[in-house]
Amino acid sequence: MSIQVPWSVLPDYRCFGCSPHNLHGLRLEFQAHPEGLQARFALDRGFESYPGVVHGGLVGVICDETIGNLIVLERRRPAFTVSMRTRFVTPLLVDRPYRCVARLRADDGDLFHGSADVLDADGVVCATATAVYQPFSLDQVRHQLTLGDDEVALLDQAITATLAPNGA
Amino acid sequence: MAETTSLDSITEITAAVTEIAAAETGVPAADLTPDTDLRAVEGVDSVKVLRMIAKIERRYDIELEDEDVFGVATVGEVAVVVDKTLREKA
Repeated sequence: MSIQVPWSVLPDYRCFGCSPHNLHGLRLEFQAHPEGLQARFALDRGFESYPGVVHGGLVGVICDETIGNLIVLERRRPAFTVSMRTRFVTPLLVDRPYRCVARLRADDGDLFHGSADVLDADGVVCATATAVYQPFSLDQVRHQLTLGDDEVALLDQAITATLAPNGA
Repeated sequence: MAETTSLDSITEITAAVTEIAAAETGVPAADLTPDTDLRAVEGVDSVKVLRMIAKIERRYDIELEDEDVFGVATVGEVAVVVDKTLREKA
């Protein structure tokens, strides 16, 4: 069963990674995973790099997106990525099924640390990523968001009330 | 998630690297020594070595430098760069 991300309370949110309303985006959906959060995906040639190969930058986007949504679901705080490192083991192929599994490390200071693996249909690791995130409140970045006051309030409430992937 | 939180000895790291290398290459751990050149093992290519490195990084929650990853050949050399990275992180 797919997990609702808090952003979905905004009827027109356009996140490149997870919005169903962005026809040019990845439209990722998330499911609970024993380690954290999982996204299953298969990308078509619109996301191609070399012929038949998924663009490597998108592998990073998918890992970032899965870790980032796990943070907001588990920690109930949005966060910006401040650094990320991806290890590419094998190329991802277009139109093949993969899944990204993200997990969080125990909090250490003010920053959140997460990691993700991209696995093929046989469970073989194709890429790994580690990333660090700085949490923020919506008020702090209010001037950067193209949202009205009522939308900010709605989103704030959704983030606070969100259910963690494990149902907590 | 890291399975170790305190610094392992080089012997423990070598044992862990051997275990992961055995799982990835299909060669029994008993047949792998610190001097085993991983890329010289039959059926092992650079992808398998990279996959092994990714598992080691995940196990120890570290990020190995690419220069180290592509500069090592043997099980023992992998263990040494893991040990070095763990000490730098500590």
